[in-house]
Amino acid sequence: MANEVTLTIDGKTVRVPQGTLIVDAAKKIGIDVPVFCYHPKMEPVGMCRMCLVEVGRPVMDRATNQPVLEADGTPRIAFGAKLETACTTPVSEGMVVITQNQKVASARREVLEFLLTSHPLDCPICDKGGECPLQNLTMGYGPAESRFLFEEKMHLAKHVPLGELIYLDRERCIQCARCVRFQKDLVDDPVIGFYQRGRSLEIVTYSEPGFDSYFSGNTTDICPVGALTTADFRFGARPWELKPVASICTHCPVGCNLTFNVRREAASGGKLVIKRAMPRQNELVNEIWICDKGRFAYHFVESPQRLTQPLVRKNGELVPASWEEALEAAAQGLKQAGENLVVLAGGRLSNEDLFNLRKLADAQRGKAILYTHMGGGDLTQQVGLTPGSNLGSLGKGDAVLVIAADLHEEAPIWWMRLKAAAERGAVLVVAGARPTRLERYAAKVMRYRYGEELNIIQSLMDGAVPELSQAENLVVFYGAEGLDLLGTNALAQACATLLYRSGHYGRPNNGLVGVWKEGNAQGAWDMGFHTVGNYTRTLSEAAAVLIAAADPAGDDPLLAQALDRAGFVVVQELFLTETARRADVVFPAQSFAEREGTFTSGERRVQRFYPVIYPVPDCRADFVITAQVARKLGHALEMASPAKVFLQIASEISHYQGLTYPRLAEVEEQWPPVGRSDLYYGGTAYDNRQGMGVALPALCQQQGWQLPMFWNDRLPERTFELAAMNQQGMVWLVPFNRLYDRGTTVKPSQLLEKRMVSAHIALHPETARAVGLSGVEKVQVEGLDGPLPLVLDETLPQGVAFYPRSAGVPALAPRGVKLHAVKAEVQEG
Amino acid sequence: MNELLQTYPEEVKQILAKYPAEYKRSAVMPLLYLAQRKEGYVPRQALEDIAEILEITPTEVASIVGFYTLYYDQPAGRYRIQVCTDLPCALRGADRFLEELCQRLGIREGETTPDGLFTVEAVKCLAACHRAPVFQVQGDGEIEYHENQTVELTLAWMEQVREKVRAEKEAQS
Ligand code: SF4
Ligand code: SF4
Ligand code: FES
Ligand code: FES
Repeated sequence: MANEVTLTIDGKTVRVPQGTLIVDAAKKIGIDVPVFCYHPKMEPVGMCRMCLVEVGRPVMDRATNQPVLEADGTPRIAFGAKLETACTTPVSEGMVVITQNQKVASARREVLEFLLTSHPLDCPICDKGGECPLQNLTMGYGPAESRFLFEEKMHLAKHVPLGELIYLDRERCIQCARCVRFQKDLVDDPVIGFYQRGRSLEIVTYSEPGFDSYFSGNTTDICPVGALTTADFRFGARPWELKPVASICTHCPVGCNLTFNVRREAASGGKLVIKRAMPRQNELVNEIWICDKGRFAYHFVESPQRLTQPLVRKNGELVPASWEEALEAAAQGLKQAGENLVVLAGGRLSNEDLFNLRKLADAQRGKAILYTHMGGGDLTQQVGLTPGSNLGSLGKGDAVLVIAADLHEEAPIWWMRLKAAAERGAVLVVAGARPTRLERYAAKVMRYRYGEELNIIQSLMDGAVPELSQAENLVVFYGAEGLDLLGTNALAQACATLLYRSGHYGRPNNGLVGVWKEGNAQGAWDMGFHTVGNYTRTLSEAAAVLIAAADPAGDDPLLAQALDRAGFVVVQELFLTETARRADVVFPAQSFAEREGTFTSGERRVQRFYPVIYPVPDCRADFVITAQVARKLGHALEMASPAKVFLQIASEISHYQGLTYPRLAEVEEQWPPVGRSDLYYGGTAYDNRQGMGVALPALCQQQGWQLPMFWNDRLPERTFELAAMNQQGMVWLVPFNRLYDRGTTVKPSQLLEKRMVSAHIALHPETARAVGLSGVEKVQVEGLDGPLPLVLDETLPQGVAFYPRSAGVPALAPRGVKLHAVKAEVQEG
Repeated sequence: MNELLQTYPEEVKQILAKYPAEYKRSAVMPLLYLAQRKEGYVPRQALEDIAEILEITPTEVASIVGFYTLYYDQPAGRYRIQVCTDLPCALRGADRFLEELCQRLGIREGETTPDGLFTVEAVKCLAACHRAPVFQVQGDGEIEYHENQTVELTLAWMEQVREKVRAEKEAQS
């Protein structure tokens, strides 16, 4: 290739693309150049000088512009008088780099001597001890003794809270600015910064709450010392006592690859406990990052509130029962209901659980319904992303449309990767009814009023953004903000039509992606679940309901009533939810951390997770519970192992064909290398040895594919009219997503409590005036229990009332409502 | 409430006018001087105010305050006497000058005279090495150099300043 150059490093010849930095070129051939400030995911800054190497370049004859040759015919090389920083120096043709000689060794030794002048060397109590670049590089290259005076070491604060999640130890900081650069350049949250200079320098935050960023935990991975630590892991364990177990984050459809670190410990009664959640490298999914929800909101798994035994209703009371008794009771109830059975499942279950649940519904001729208000999972199967897609490869010539979703809140790592794609030159179009953070990087922002989403798609089809229509590749992310099931179905259909008409489907980096609320919602669609528009009716008319990992009664009092009217209710759950309280039989389920299984991400990548801790005694995996109930009903469902259920999935569901657990566990070489012995290079994210998952093909790639009947290649009708609704004095009540909500799997992580959103209603001041709510502090939403605090916000669209989802406001999908003022109680005296 | 904007609406406008709108963050330094004008230091609230005006984070504003020595995050005397004690100056007796000055004033380096008028600080090179002992005075929005100093000269000058301040006060009351 013309734009490659050849150079030699320590006598080895290597060919790399022009512009490659010496440090990366060396790493490619296994030569380690130690670094502190350089990070392969960030621009170099050359601040720490750890990477000094000797660099020589061919001498050119000025007259001929040809290299000057030595007597033996080799080019003459001129070495500079000084060493150069390998992290800022790009390679050039014929360059000769020496990373191991006396000069380099003494430079490294001296840089380390400086870095250690005031370093506390408190490795024995430092969280990073054992996986610390400074420790390792000092052992490798440092001086045994310092020429500086011990008495002159500076002593600085050691427990500086940068907010309640991340702590700073000032003495340990070596001022590499990795943390500050990550926050500014990679996630655009410049909420930590350098203060003062020289030895007085410290990391500060002035945001409220402190270090206000959804990505803050990543700085503790890339900090090359123990200066930044998480409140979650601080002083929790020594890294070498920890065992790594591969897992997948379930909190959103990105499906970030995790490694849980576990150990047995006396403090927990000899139990195996999770000490921390770390990113596991998957350059196709989350690279080496995770958001703070993934890092800190796993504590539900070990919550003392978990259900630990089956419950059966006797004389109106739920009382503990044996498994046999509970299974028998459940089977009896379901048998009586006959075909009028509804199986309702949440999208946090694994594919194996969902598959068995659907099989049970089929066997009883009942219905398998996914508990969601977002439709379109059948279309993402048809024209979703295909194998070979990678958001990390989008750039010039590619386009991305995001509509009706707030990715920063709903799927932070997608947000981060799309921001990067836009910065690499991809055309990012963000369409929304209100401003969102992704818009900052958009080539075009398209604003609409709720209910007019389809107009946007129509205008795009008419060529409103030619860079998008004519882009080589186009990925469309659609969400559900302000839309109910009908609305999202229509939007998904419109987006699929857009992709289809412009030929952006059936090949890598093209297709439709659903921004689901739950981690495995796509998997639920794939396993054969469907949606219904009216849960109230569905539940109240069912003779029996089997609910797994969903809490309709807790979400909405109307659904609680409906459930009360339903016949027999069986619940598989982690906690005694409102729904479980109403059940006739409750089965305690295992969390994802106690067993293995697979999830399918929003990009439709099937990924494995592994058992992390021992199961809570007497809890069983959902697929087992379902199979055991089924057996009592006379149906044989697979329950020997998730791997065997998965084999069935692969044989029955066409786009899962050929997949097996071993295949999902395959890994390939990734760049940059992280988590190896050279932790200084990429940080402490974990190397991926347990599987990068497999991307599913889109159905449209199959031979002879035709447009499915239900889609029909046309734009659907719009589903509601905001103006008409407002004229009747009603507003459109819209749930919006906040990353830290108060959902079942988030709330138990008390560390995040301060940042969790609280129940409230938000209105544009004009709207408040229009519906007579100016100066009012609390509102009553017609049909909902209890008054809610009112917040006015000028950035919101008019005619709409917002509330945070899963934060205690008992409403689910958007609907038209009337709002009333609640009179402030007059205080006596 | 943006206090800075309220106190200095015209000044803020003038400062912003000097920068293209898309690079308005560059106005952070003059705005910090403005914020520091009245009290001689940048109060915490001003970080928020400036951040809001420039649409950057308070942390970014703070790191500028931290980086440059001419911004202060703590209140001090109305006049800051900043004596260079770097090597070339030290060779001309600057360190002894500072020590003696402090002694005569009865304060330590970094402290403020009891009348709240003067803070004495040691700083790095002021680019007047050949006229050491040298100090600069910051106060009332101005910077002034005093070169070839002796303690007596400095004390005399301080007396003049006290005189001036007294006169100002009397004129006001
Ligand atoms: S806290 Fe860590 S990452 Fe940040 S500058 Fe200091 S050493 Fe570098
Ligand atoms: S982005 Fe989503 S999948 Fe990734 S860690 Fe955060 S919540 Fe989990
Ligand atoms: S200067 Fe190269 S790694 Fe820091
Ligand atoms: S060293 Fe003091 S002014 Fe230069």
